[in-house]
Amino acid sequence: MMDSITQKAGIAAVAAFGVVLVSSAGYSSVSAQGLPEGFKKGDLAPEPSAEMIEAGKRVYFTKCVWCHGVDGAGDGPGADRLWPRPRNFNQGTFKIRHTASGELPLFDAKKPIPGQNDLFETVTHGLPGSAMPSWEGILTEEQRLQVLAFVTTQLVKDRKFTDKQSETQTVLQLAEIKAKPATDESKKRGSELVVEKKCVECHGMEGRGDGNAFNLKDDWGFSIQPADWHKCWNFRGSRQDPYNVGNIFRTFSTGVNGTPMPSFADNTTVDERWDIANFVNSLCERDALGNPLPIDPLTDKPKINFVVPSDLVEGEIPTDMEHEAWKKAPKRYVAMGGQITHKPRNFVNRIDDIWVRSLYNDKSIVYLLEWDDRTKSVAEGKLPWAPTQVNIDIKEQEPKTGEGESIAAHQNNYTVYNDAIAIETAVKWKELPAPIKPRYLFGTNDQFPVDIVKWEADGSLRAFKGTGWDKDFEERDNYEESMKLLKGEWKDGRWYVMIQRPLGNKKDQDYDEDTFFEMGQYIPTVFFAWDGHNGDAGRKMAVSAFFYTFMNPPIPRETYIYPAVIAVGVVLLEGWVLTRRANKKKGKTL
Amino acid sequence: MKALMSLGALIGVAGLLLLGGMIFDVIPSNTVRLVEGYMPMQMLFEFACFVAGFAGLSYMMSAMGMALPRFWQGIGFWAFVLLYLKFRVYPPIPFSVRAMYGTVSLVAVFMWVSASEEDWKKFKQPIMNVLDAQTGMNRLLRYAYLVILPILIGGFSYNVMMPKSEEPIELRTVHPAPPASTKVHGKTYTLQTSQNPYRVNQEGKYDQEYTNANIVEQGMGRLMKPNANPWDDKNQGYLKYVREGGEIFFQNCHFCHGDNLNGRGLHAFAFNPIPANFTDPGTIAQLQETFIFWRVSKGGIGLPNEGFPWASVMPPWEQHLTVDEIWKVILFEYWHTGYYPRTWD
Repeated sequence: MMDSITQKAGIAAVAAFGVVLVSSAGYSSVSAQGLPEGFKKGDLAPEPSAEMIEAGKRVYFTKCVWCHGVDGAGDGPGADRLWPRPRNFNQGTFKIRHTASGELPLFDAKKPIPGQNDLFETVTHGLPGSAMPSWEGILTEEQRLQVLAFVTTQLVKDRKFTDKQSETQTVLQLAEIKAKPATDESKKRGSELVVEKKCVECHGMEGRGDGNAFNLKDDWGFSIQPADWHKCWNFRGSRQDPYNVGNIFRTFSTGVNGTPMPSFADNTTVDERWDIANFVNSLCERDALGNPLPIDPLTDKPKINFVVPSDLVEGEIPTDMEHEAWKKAPKRYVAMGGQITHKPRNFVNRIDDIWVRSLYNDKSIVYLLEWDDRTKSVAEGKLPWAPTQVNIDIKEQEPKTGEGESIAAHQNNYTVYNDAIAIETAVKWKELPAPIKPRYLFGTNDQFPVDIVKWEADGSLRAFKGTGWDKDFEERDNYEESMKLLKGEWKDGRWYVMIQRPLGNKKDQDYDEDTFFEMGQYIPTVFFAWDGHNGDAGRKMAVSAFFYTFMNPPIPRETYIYPAVIAVGVVLLEGWVLTRRANKKKGKTL
Repeated sequence: MKALMSLGALIGVAGLLLLGGMIFDVIPSNTVRLVEGYMPMQMLFEFACFVAGFAGLSYMMSAMGMALPRFWQGIGFWAFVLLYLKFRVYPPIPFSVRAMYGTVSLVAVFMWVSASEEDWKKFKQPIMNVLDAQTGMNRLLRYAYLVILPILIGGFSYNVMMPKSEEPIELRTVHPAPPASTKVHGKTYTLQTSQNPYRVNQEGKYDQEYTNANIVEQGMGRLMKPNANPWDDKNQGYLKYVREGGEIFFQNCHFCHGDNLNGRGLHAFAFNPIPANFTDPGTIAQLQETFIFWRVSKGGIGLPNEGFPWASVMPPWEQHLTVDEIWKVILFEYWHTGYYPRTWD
């Protein structure tokens, strides 16, 4: 009995292997069926069983309905404060697919195989850069298939996944296409192709998603933005493997349905597509040695180190970013979330990270802040309130269902304010018993205030004292001469701002308002960022958590001497042990 | 006996292959999931399997005349424990905790290899062989150690002495003691006696049993009870309020606490401490409903010092929501996670 089953399984495995062999042998780069290169005709999957659909309904109404809505129209209660908006399933338009542009994605309720079941993979891994989470580990594999059975049969209303008359499947054979190595030559060709194929018109000259940023709309009329190639962890189809070039190749080959991103399968060869994918992949942020950044498996974003180290330089701090000292300074990823604590709240923060480097000398500390912002925003008129005012009463947008009122509909139609960035440090942090700090939003009270240095896109650099989230700032008028803006430049979708401030000392500075920067100490630091085209002003902004500025002390000479002494000591010890052992063997005792 | 040992050996080999796959990242470390809530028991069981596997393996090897010296068995097992803790346990545990377990297991290994005089001798033998350097191989090893050890120890101490900027460790109390009462929107609520006004049955009466019966199924993929859909228009009482609470949650809270209430929302990655994970049995399942009411109303600012109020981005929700809305959100959180609130008695 046992044997016959094994035998059958063996035959099945061999047969399956044979099928794979034969089918791949039949594959050629120029398809006989007139299909784009790399694609093959596929079959529609059978309809899922009624029990499965019924079970899926329970999953849907527990987990998905809150964003995707009762009818799957992408209008659940959560939808109106989200941008990008949740998917409207009714038309059967899905972004991430292995199928040709315009076709339905791959979904088979019985086949949860990577590369052969697009919807299952999307539910499993989520869509980074949007609110769609990864459901792996939350829903079982079966539950994920069940809910998709419900969505594809009941909520996709305009099309039918099993209708052979109207639907075709032209499937990208990603598993069978050999990846082209990312050589310099390939990347160079890719960089030329993205210009030739007009990718840069939307994605921007440096691929920061800054081209055509105002005019793009999806099929439902909501404004959307092109992907920033430098943040591959935000690629919707990155499948929790952001540096995998295959994901880019797939998106580029199939296009993104419902958006202006077309499929390039018809007018590029497979070889060209790999060149472009290699180039786009090479743009994603990497560490100083060119290795991919470590990705936190819990967040699918780069891992965060909450210490911003500052290196010592002799003499003047260089203002040139290309200077050796800046190139050597460690670059920190600072994650930014929306300020949703106090009104006006920022549910859609368009700045989700900034990059910080720092240097110091005996007098000043300089922060070099870089962040991607698709639009350079400089206020068109005067702000309707004083810049020190915190409790401005901007009316908060109600979460109203309906396209006219939602945040997604409103995006890009806000009054334009200044792009801005601010560094907040704690005053008198040494008096606070560790680990107590002032509150991260504008300090605690008069006793424990914070020192805020704010730069705005109109070129101004100002310092404020914050004494609590509900108190107006006090502008510091005597501080302007001691601070310096070393750089403030927007280029191809990225801001480069270099701010210099004095280290502070008890002799010249005001101890009650100034942060004193001290070597070798952890100085609580918070970063704030405003995107002027997102209507960000006042407290509508992006915020970081508490970081620490840490001024690296020069390496003491002992660091080099003691280890050498220890090593010599070990040699002596070894000699002693060996001699003792030898003596003992010979019968001598000491 | 032999069959049992062979089975053990098989388990050992399979386990080692699995662990090896995880170490070299061929198999993702969460492939065979440690089930949330049952993790310690499952881990102990798995570990027992490994030990049995190793016993079988060593028996088989010595039966085949390839016995592994006790010295390498000890070291190998210790290395296994370290690797297991680092690569198998998911979500990962911090180095300091692993170091503690590593020390404990080192002591255990020493006790094992020094259980009898004979064992201890066997264990020491390879070290003595190198010291005596009777064979060419051992002589070579001895010289290698002579050179490598000082370099290693010197390098290690250099590494330790090099000034570093590591994140300072801060120990935060996650659930500080609540006050006796809290004042929200001008009304005082005594935490011991207050009740969620929406935990009611279809007739509108406070009914803990009825609402508990409508709480979603327990387990990983907590789903609503069959025929208890909060989105049904005909609903009155509890389920209707669950839906209203859910609407408020998804308009205000899910940005941080996540679509699945697991603290992995859209903005969560930026914050430190990360938002609370309500699906973790250590959070709302351990707390009274009124405690949640206090925390939600007062937010991070309302925490006592040991709760690090300065680091929390949790807003005092009384600024944005009415008392009724807060109670409804709490109702929804228990419904969605499938937990019952703790009661005072």
